[in-house]
Amino acid sequence: MKRYLFIRLLLFVPTLAGALTLVFFLIHLVPGDPVEAMLGETASTVDKGALRRQLGLDQPLGTQYLRFLSRLAKGDLGESLYGQGPVMELISARFPATVELTLAAMGIAMLLAFTLGTLAAVKKNSWVDQASLLFSLFGLSTPNFWLGPLLIIFFAIDLGWLPVSGRGGWNHLILPALTLGTSMAAILTRMVRSSLLEAIRQDYIQTARAKGLSEWSVWLKHAAGNSLISVTTILGLQFGALLAGSVITETIFAWPGIGRLTLEAIQTRDYPLLQGCILIIACSYLVINLCTDILYRAADPRIRYEN
Amino acid sequence: MKIRPAVLIGLILVSLIAGAALLASQIAPYSPFQQNLANDLLAPSQEHLLGTDKLGRDVWTRALYGARISLAVGITAVTLSVLIGFSIGALSGYFGGWVDGVLMRLTDVLMAFPGILLAISLAAFLGPGLQHVILALCLSGWTGYARLVRGEILTLREREFIHAARSIGCGPARIIFRHLLPNILSPLIVQGTFGMATAIMAEGGLSFLGIGTPPPMPSWGSMLSEGRQFILIAPHLTTFPGLAIMVTVLALNLIGDGLRDGLEKAEKR
Amino acid sequence: MRLRLFTFLALSGWMLLPGCHPRNNTDLPRRRLVVGLESSPTHLDPRFATDANSVRIGALIFNSLVRADQNARFQPELAERWEALDERSYLFHLKRNITFQNGKPLTAEDVKFTYESLLAPQSQAPRKSAFRMIEAVEAHGPHQVLLKFTEPYGPFLESATLGIVPAGSPLAPLTRKARLIGSGPFALEEFVPGERIVLKANRSYWQGPAPVSDIVFKILPDSIVRVLEFKKGSIDLLQNDIEPDMIPWLQRNSQALIQTLQGTTFQYIGMNLDHPALKNIKVRQAIAQAIDREAIIRHLLKDTAIPATGLLSPTHWAYEPSVRQFAYDPEKAKRLLDEAGFPDPDGAGPLPRFKLSYKTTTLELRRRIAEVIREQLNQIGIELEVRAYEWGTFYGDIKKGNFHLYSLAWVGIMDPDILYTLFHSGSIPPSGDNRGRYRNPQVDRLLEQGRRVADADHRMQIYRAVQKILAEELPYIPLWWVKNVVALNPAIRGFTPYPDGDLISLKNVSFHGSQP
Repeated sequence: MKRYLFIRLLLFVPTLAGALTLVFFLIHLVPGDPVEAMLGETASTVDKGALRRQLGLDQPLGTQYLRFLSRLAKGDLGESLYGQGPVMELISARFPATVELTLAAMGIAMLLAFTLGTLAAVKKNSWVDQASLLFSLFGLSTPNFWLGPLLIIFFAIDLGWLPVSGRGGWNHLILPALTLGTSMAAILTRMVRSSLLEAIRQDYIQTARAKGLSEWSVWLKHAAGNSLISVTTILGLQFGALLAGSVITETIFAWPGIGRLTLEAIQTRDYPLLQGCILIIACSYLVINLCTDILYRAADPRIRYEN
Repeated sequence: MKIRPAVLIGLILVSLIAGAALLASQIAPYSPFQQNLANDLLAPSQEHLLGTDKLGRDVWTRALYGARISLAVGITAVTLSVLIGFSIGALSGYFGGWVDGVLMRLTDVLMAFPGILLAISLAAFLGPGLQHVILALCLSGWTGYARLVRGEILTLREREFIHAARSIGCGPARIIFRHLLPNILSPLIVQGTFGMATAIMAEGGLSFLGIGTPPPMPSWGSMLSEGRQFILIAPHLTTFPGLAIMVTVLALNLIGDGLRDGLEKAEKR
Repeated sequence: MRLRLFTFLALSGWMLLPGCHPRNNTDLPRRRLVVGLESSPTHLDPRFATDANSVRIGALIFNSLVRADQNARFQPELAERWEALDERSYLFHLKRNITFQNGKPLTAEDVKFTYESLLAPQSQAPRKSAFRMIEAVEAHGPHQVLLKFTEPYGPFLESATLGIVPAGSPLAPLTRKARLIGSGPFALEEFVPGERIVLKANRSYWQGPAPVSDIVFKILPDSIVRVLEFKKGSIDLLQNDIEPDMIPWLQRNSQALIQTLQGTTFQYIGMNLDHPALKNIKVRQAIAQAIDREAIIRHLLKDTAIPATGLLSPTHWAYEPSVRQFAYDPEKAKRLLDEAGFPDPDGAGPLPRFKLSYKTTTLELRRRIAEVIREQLNQIGIELEVRAYEWGTFYGDIKKGNFHLYSLAWVGIMDPDILYTLFHSGSIPPSGDNRGRYRNPQVDRLLEQGRRVADADHRMQIYRAVQKILAEELPYIPLWWVKNVVALNPAIRGFTPYPDGDLISLKNVSFHGSQP
């Protein structure tokens, strides 16, 4: 286990470095000049040149890259080209909002998935099972840029129960989290159902039943534990999808998060900001993957013994 | 071989959609580009089965042509992704060692980017154009197939029939294509079916953000994003393209599910 | 005993005290005003502000020496009067008793500092180049400021519209922790990036405090969400960021008051005059006659604009009404193209006379308009390739001259000297914004003259002549002047829409039911 941990951590660093390098070179080989977009209509060549020098954009790519790396080592993500301040500040201002949204979406997804999935597995082949499968299918197939506005109209306007947009109290969180979490709920429901069904066939379940434990106890205590592992793994993999899906959801609900910030950074060619955003997203993603991998290994009794 | 009803439904739907796409120019009552500003935002009627959009264009016609784009993007993106993924996964899985190490790191690096983010960046930077959309979807999508292929090959590599093939002097290419590929084909197809569904949704998402299929080509995604502005006064503009995406993706998922179940059953036997 | 009595009296005295106060209006709670915005302002510091939102909100926080009124004439604000000392220097006399929001008095030193910090060689302020004609700013005593220009400069008053910051204010970007102090009717209370900006009413504003307690600018990028929030009542005011088709919906489904005012924002098509086809004036005129502006305005814009004849709109003091106009006439357009030497190779068949690319942003409305224009040009045999780019790339291309056709709008036109920056042959990028590379020596001479002359009437004659020539030669194809459309909470009193979308009247706004 310790050896595995060590190897994984070792691999983590070059992967992250590779991701960063990719981002750096990708956005620098692109049409559209940030200096022009930034200084506005009437800037003179002299001013533009000065700004370019100040930001180091006139240096050869290699030099810029090295500067970037050295700054990064000090924890400095640079300044936004648009003059909005240090990138670190901008990101840390908006990152919690995305975390909040993502966690809420995962929460809703897990709630829905475990409820429906368990019901479907327990009452296999009944109408409940069919309904949950149907829900799962539709959830997977519905684009969130269609679902979002529909939810707003129904819940916020027609019924007036919830606010239309923005971040605020817990009631502001419901619609965006629901929009974002639906596709994940769909995937997880099936996951829960199938892993529960698989677990129930295992030997140790027969043992539990033989011991005289109630059906519910069998399901919940023993089978559920197993499915939790698979779910956790999927969660980790889907986390990236959530982060990406947040771009669209955040735009629809005016949610002040990283997804929207990234989109804005792309549109304004704010290189340092874009790099910072992608760095944070990639980092979070890799970290989450690492954690779920470790959890998976640690939790699954079979694998532990294999090692 | 017993086919589950759900899979059958999926197949029928996909055939209908594909058929509609292929025969679009024959079936469509109007041209998808024909504007009529005075007739904008009409509700569904006899003249216009699914109504008209803001520029007075017939929605039913555009939906038919949109099927072409969605399916074409879906198929092309997935095919290319599978090709790239297969190549990398096969090399990685078969040769192992440092080749595996390097390629898998490369895959990890790309997987560190949530797919859509990469697709958005590429599509935004490269500018408008269908080929850019496909490229973006492709580059962000191949990693899954690479992992799948690699995993399968790792398992199969040590099987007897492979040893046998090697012992009679088959080269790596022959082994990969003649012996390994047929066994990997099934999970690849299953994954590819789901991948196509994802690609179609992703294209919609990119169009929604304004960096997908360029106008005036009707793609369901861009029809949805164009129509969204009018959701309160002309809901039919969002309902139908959204429905189209949903039904297509649903059908593909049904097929994929069915194939996967069939595959699992086959393996268990 | 005495202590207890005393305590009792004191306590009852406190209770009686509220009753002693006459219930006058200042005790009623002031309300907060919520305004919806489509995008976040990028900088509120007047030395940085270039985009419309930044400028409009900045105008509530800062004062300037003069301010443009609804007819683009400059009215005194911080300066009560001014005089020309010679043909390049102007002395501004400041009003007394003006204080910043932190209580410090505003003097000539603050004015001098603001200009100098803007023009300093190391400053990256984008607005710097707009003020490059200023040679020096001197403080002559606490209430007199001298503006010296490098050469005689007719539009000198436009240089006096810079918002004034207190001496010593750093050129800081707009962040969460930004502390901007101005002398205007509202102080910056809070800036949450991407979410909202909160302005608090300046109780000691020298023109009298604003009736509202504070203003919240809510940033809502999605057009439907803006409309829905308005309907719900969580926004009180929405200016111009409304889908034209949603205006009738708002009228039907909410209590909103919709005010429409003729605006000055000028939407146009820019052309690259170095292109072999576009070089030819008949081709440009043909394109102008192929576009059915009335249809676009009626159906796509739902009459939220009127057809334009040129950059300056009818409310501008230098506007010239009798210029050549090109009505929608596709047959005439086809004949012009034939005359220009671009015949249609196959008559009514699919082959075009020639192809052009048309660049636009990814904003939905712009793309829709581009689609219609494509179709209309198709009718006269020009094949248009519409390419939508997001703002960064689009703007970069336009500024470099990398386009055939594009469409953009000019917002907040003040002095007609802008025509120099747009059409003088010396203003071809990178020296200016003559992106179409228009060259006309007669226009050059007129524009130079307009810049040198100080007399308003004389300048008006000069610029009228320029407008006539431009309307004939069409370096831009004028499309329309956008109306200013405002949706208001019916309880709001005192809001005056400005033709250029200026929000300065928010300082006079109040709610019916609270105190005036």
